[in-house]
Amino acid sequence: MNNSQCPVARKSGLVVQEVPDEVLVYDLETNKAHCLNQSAAMIWKSCDGNTSVSEIAKLVESQAGGKVTEDFVWLAIDQLSENNLLEKQIRPSFEGTSRREVIKKIGLASMIAIPVIASLVAPQSALAAASCACNNPSSCGNAPNAGCPNTTNCNINGLCAP
Amino acid sequence: MARQGLNKTLNSSRALDREILLESYGVTVRLEASDSDLFSETEETARKALVDRVKILENAEPEHVFRVSSDETGTLFLFHNGEQISFDTSRKRFFKFFNSMLRIAVAEYARDCVFIHAGVVGWKDKAIIIPANSFAGKTTLVSELVRNGATYYSDEYAVLDENGLVHPFPRDLSIRDEGFKEREAPVTEFGGITGTEPIPVGAVIITEFVEGGEWDPVSLTVGQGIMEVIPHTIPRNFNTQFSLKVLNTAVSDAIILKSPRGEASAFAIKLLSFY
Repeated sequence: MNNSQCPVARKSGLVVQEVPDEVLVYDLETNKAHCLNQSAAMIWKSCDGNTSVSEIAKLVESQAGGKVTEDFVWLAIDQLSENNLLEKQIRPSFEGTSRREVIKKIGLASMIAIPVIASLVAPQSALAAASCACNNPSSCGNAPNAGCPNTTNCNINGLCAP
Repeated sequence: MARQGLNKTLNSSRALDREILLESYGVTVRLEASDSDLFSETEETARKALVDRVKILENAEPEHVFRVSSDETGTLFLFHNGEQISFDTSRKRFFKFFNSMLRIAVAEYARDCVFIHAGVVGWKDKAIIIPANSFAGKTTLVSELVRNGATYYSDEYAVLDENGLVHPFPRDLSIRDEGFKEREAPVTEFGGITGTEPIPVGAVIITEFVEGGEWDPVSLTVGQGIMEVIPHTIPRNFNTQFSLKVLNTAVSDAIILKSPRGEASAFAIKLLSFY
């Protein structure tokens, strides 16, 4: 762990939408959507390439009005890196402890919500959500891919899916 | 270029002799068919698919071209922008598929609005949106809500404008009975009426039927709610920025609840009395 590192938030290929108390980020390259809670969003926005982890901790502390440790910031950076929301991947080591242990440690001490990023992969195309022409996959007859576009097939639920 | 490719592909089919250019939700579509019978059915299916929100154009460059043709054996072929996407010997099944593909093409490229795959009813001047995939019991739940006094908006799409208001997309309800047989039923069959005015979103209900399931909702934040809706949002790849902005506008004042549910009939009563 090097607290003098200055992480950089990724900007290209992302669509960012501020919502009340959260930030939504849609990754156009992977079709992944991320929901950053307030703490994670504050840290992500502070990753400008000029601000170190120690400085981000102080910055967030002044904005959020509660004690913020460097581990707290690393917890966010770990998730941001894992979700490809930083320009360069950074792998923090929590000095021999696991992420779970760090969450437990921070969670008990912190007055601020621990940084959380929820993610999901959205289906690639709207066509993937289309019903098969046959409705019942067992009666699809001779329609190609049971009537689904040729990049998809009729699955057991009667849906065209990759 | 697409046209050249298509003509090449269509060599084995009969010549095309009918076409129409239309616009729906800002999307221009040309429909073509190889004979007048097919053309009539193609146009009728298109009007139905787009709930008659269709304007005939004289001249415009189409974003989508759908061609329907048949061969000597009676097999029907469907082409989209020059690529064959289906063939079938069952006319009913063929046009059902065409209906679905046309609807999705328009939903995906619609201007100034966002289509969400969802059931929608109006209740106390606000919309209840139930995002879900096909076969998730969306229509059954919508029909039960309508039976219990809600106004019908759609069993297929929530159409949101840039101000976050929900517009009706009132196609006939697509009812599946046991054995997956499907029929279309007008909302009047359920004693319901169709909404005509755009309304704000009052509630977003994330739910699916679970055998013996109990409605025990948790309230979601706006961000969590939008995350649940994103997979059902049709134009999210084509116009992501606009889609997310509209979703935020639409649901920021709404109640967003998530829970499994039991049978639609009992749940509909519970939902309407709760909200």
